[in-house]
Amino acid sequence: MDIRFVIAALGLAGCTATPPPPVTQAPPPPTVAIAAEPAPPPLPAPAAAPPKPEVAPPAPKATVGNTPPAAAPKAPPKAPAQTPVAAKPAAPPPLDLTSLEKRLKDTSAIGVLTKLSLKNQVDDLVGRFKTFHAGQRPPTLTDLRPAFDLLLMKVLSLLQDKDEALARDIDTSRDAIWGVLADHEKFVKYSS
Amino acid sequence: MRIALVAATLAATAAFAAADPKQKQDLAAVIALQGKPCGEVVSYTVQGENDFLATCKDKNRYRVYVKDGRVVVEKK
Repeated sequence: MDIRFVIAALGLAGCTATPPPPVTQAPPPPTVAIAAEPAPPPLPAPAAAPPKPEVAPPAPKATVGNTPPAAAPKAPPKAPAQTPVAAKPAAPPPLDLTSLEKRLKDTSAIGVLTKLSLKNQVDDLVGRFKTFHAGQRPPTLTDLRPAFDLLLMKVLSLLQDKDEALARDIDTSRDAIWGVLADHEKFVKYSS
Repeated sequence: MRIALVAATLAATAAFAAADPKQKQDLAAVIALQGKPCGEVVSYTVQGENDFLATCKDKNRYRVYVKDGRVVVEKK
């Protein structure tokens, strides 16, 4: 049950990890600004175009008159198109609770006895968090953080050589998991 | 004759069990998780279901077994 909780925490990490996108959305503006900068060059282009039309002066006049308006609408469409492109690489792959739980259960990187031993230690740590959220001191969050980091390090050291992807996902979720354990409301929600 | 055959069978079984590298790694990991010195499990014998006697490279020997859903590591 506690393992489910931790897995839930890991999965939640994925949900919590979703917030980063907003942060990544902040960068897009700069890209838009950058996109806007390149826009100016097209304007000079029309100016350069006139020289060619020297052969046919009348046409350029009509074209020049239409060119400015046409150039203006062209710039806006380009900017929105570039924004999503920039957001795609920045967005981290969402961690799915169910798949993460399955991956932890199915991974062959950890033996059965080791998994059970880890579960015991996770249960013990979760028990200490329960004590903390019940209002008892010791343990303080300052006491619990090293224990949390050590346990996560054990898990990562067991996974990193044989299941790098899972190790990476768990490591990425470290702060989110801590957030769930340390926050009373989130802890109660996910431990029930 | 029969006794010799049974002894040979038991010895062969034990030898086979002790040769499973995954089980050795599992035992070594469990011992390490408990913070006990071992380094590497060189051999082990199966004493029962989820009950092992592991011998480490540094000559330490541990009984690793499951009791009430908890993995226990006892130095022998």
